[in-house]
Amino acid sequence: MSTTVRNRRVKQDGAIRYRDRLTKNDLLEIYRRLWFARVFDETLYDMKKKGRLRRGNVYGSRGQEAIQVGTTYPLRPDDFTSPIHRDMPIFVFRGMTVEQVMCQVWGKANAPTRGKDSWSHMGDMRLGIIHSTSMLGSTIPVACGVLWAQRLDGNRDRVCVAYLGEGATATGPFHEGLNYAAVHKLPLIVVVENNQYAYSTPVELEVPTPTVADRAKGYGIPGYSIDGNDVLEVYDTMCEALEHARAGKGPVLIECVTYRLQGHADHDETRARQYRPVEEIEMWEKRDPIVRYREYLLTTGLFTESELPEPPADIVEQIQNAVEYAIQSPDPEPHTALEDIYDESAGVSR
Amino acid sequence: MREVTFLEAIRAAIWEEMERDPNVFIIGEDIGKMGGAFGVTTGFQERFGFDRVVDAPISETAIIGVAIGAAAAGKRAIAEMQFIDFISYGFDQVVNVAATYLYRSGGQVSIPIVVRGPSGGYVGGSLYHSQQFEAWFFHVPGLKVVQPAFPDDAYGLMKASIRDNNPVIFLEHKYLYRRIKGTIPNPEADYIVKLGEARIRRPGDTLTVVTYGAMVHFALDAARMLEQEGISMEVIDLRTIKPLDMETIYNSVRKTSKVLVIYEAPRTGGVGAEISARITEECFEWLDAPVMRVAAKDSFVPFAEPLEKFVLPSVDDIVYTARQLAHY
Repeated sequence: MSTTVRNRRVKQDGAIRYRDRLTKNDLLEIYRRLWFARVFDETLYDMKKKGRLRRGNVYGSRGQEAIQVGTTYPLRPDDFTSPIHRDMPIFVFRGMTVEQVMCQVWGKANAPTRGKDSWSHMGDMRLGIIHSTSMLGSTIPVACGVLWAQRLDGNRDRVCVAYLGEGATATGPFHEGLNYAAVHKLPLIVVVENNQYAYSTPVELEVPTPTVADRAKGYGIPGYSIDGNDVLEVYDTMCEALEHARAGKGPVLIECVTYRLQGHADHDETRARQYRPVEEIEMWEKRDPIVRYREYLLTTGLFTESELPEPPADIVEQIQNAVEYAIQSPDPEPHTALEDIYDESAGVSR
Repeated sequence: MREVTFLEAIRAAIWEEMERDPNVFIIGEDIGKMGGAFGVTTGFQERFGFDRVVDAPISETAIIGVAIGAAAAGKRAIAEMQFIDFISYGFDQVVNVAATYLYRSGGQVSIPIVVRGPSGGYVGGSLYHSQQFEAWFFHVPGLKVVQPAFPDDAYGLMKASIRDNNPVIFLEHKYLYRRIKGTIPNPEADYIVKLGEARIRRPGDTLTVVTYGAMVHFALDAARMLEQEGISMEVIDLRTIKPLDMETIYNSVRKTSKVLVIYEAPRTGGVGAEISARITEECFEWLDAPVMRVAAKDSFVPFAEPLEKFVLPSVDDIVYTARQLAHY
């Protein structure tokens, strides 16, 4: 088992280019998903600004779309995911409707949590989406448990992709969970979205090693540190990790190096330009993953300019419609606040 | 019927539930080949295999987290804490992940897990092998908390806890493990003790004692001594600490009009405080005396025998306070 950190940007030799298997339709779908993530984000910031979304925070993912798209695109429908607060589009990529997600944002009665919890703290086990909490890192042991259930059922090649920021790799549950997964060779892929800041704390105050991927050495598992703003690089790496995990070789850690172009949440826009150098933000603006991918697609000769609208109008419309649907959806009845605290249905095994 | 120790009753219940339901598995430290620190799972790994009797690293967060995740995916998990004191490592998983899961999934995902382990003092275990943690979890919506005092209850409550669809904290008093013997029904009887139901272990009419765990035995000892003085104690064994069976308590209070609540944990903020408050709210006009408490002193559980004896409640403490209450 390799314990060296592989940086695909530097070491391309021998790395399979899974991207070559993608059809023109795949390439276009990836482009559309990147835009879905971008428009989703922009729409909610806009709603907050206009006062149409009055409660809760918007945790943006502008600049991190390539990770959401590249890591989910090669998954099987029966794989598991455990998204975090900056991964809202992943809920849609994994099968939830845009309407469901928007109802969750607005805390409506028909939201997956029925208005109980906010933002990304939702899931759907029928779609293999594990619910997260605000205690970042705490889903890693839970993901191990979901995979343990698969082992008991003889499903050893169903993979779980658990997402984290680089800051959460400093938590205890991250260590205990990854250690457990490595000891028992569970098919867990941990995707670290290294966007350089945990709220205001820079990565060097969270992680002592040169890369976050170096942490993999401590668990004897492969660690990758890759360009998280290159969607096809993310895709290639994910495909490689999936082969490893499905073959029963245990977990993989993928560090996607990226940058949080916005504040921690919408309330943090002013201070986020104070605790971070403006030149740094401007430098990363130039590495916009959607612009880069579009340029690449044009160089392939497979697409004309007009085939790659910025953004695709139907996606804007889809998201706008979902927002209006959510706003018009009913609020939860107050008494439902006391429902679903206990499950008193018959205690027979499901 | 079978004659067993308290520990053997727990062992039998887990064994039989694992035989009955292939979705049940157990995870903990040293529980495989060694059979656990106290031997509760002796022989389990040979019978049920490595995947259903999981030797975990020293990672309480991971142990409880794996139990939760597996439960979310349809299994019934038992997480053994080698000593219940170590559950503190996994506090976030119990309180923020397991307890809330049903609620924050809009009722979709229930978490049928039992987090169990030896608790309590009187064995010279010192600070970190003696604690009674029920009050921490008593405070949390979504959890159930169980602590039996007799083998038949330990057996029936463990089976009920494993079959329950909610996270259950199951406290096994280590002082009782081998000291207390009793009979339990044979497996074919499918004997279950429903959660949330107290049991009157001794009827009486001078005063009501509400307690659980090892304190039930202390209270029964005290009751036998006080009987000769004409003080008749009704001893209620809660068995389930959360949810509380308040009806059984209120009915007894309406009969005796005097209440003594006994618990082994530190006095301040204990379960007895809540019981006392509820009795005062619901039965004030029935009371002939203040609701009194016997509990541990607000200290840690120290190692040396004279220190431990000084901190933890004793039969003498119960006798003394019961007399005061009887003559109030």
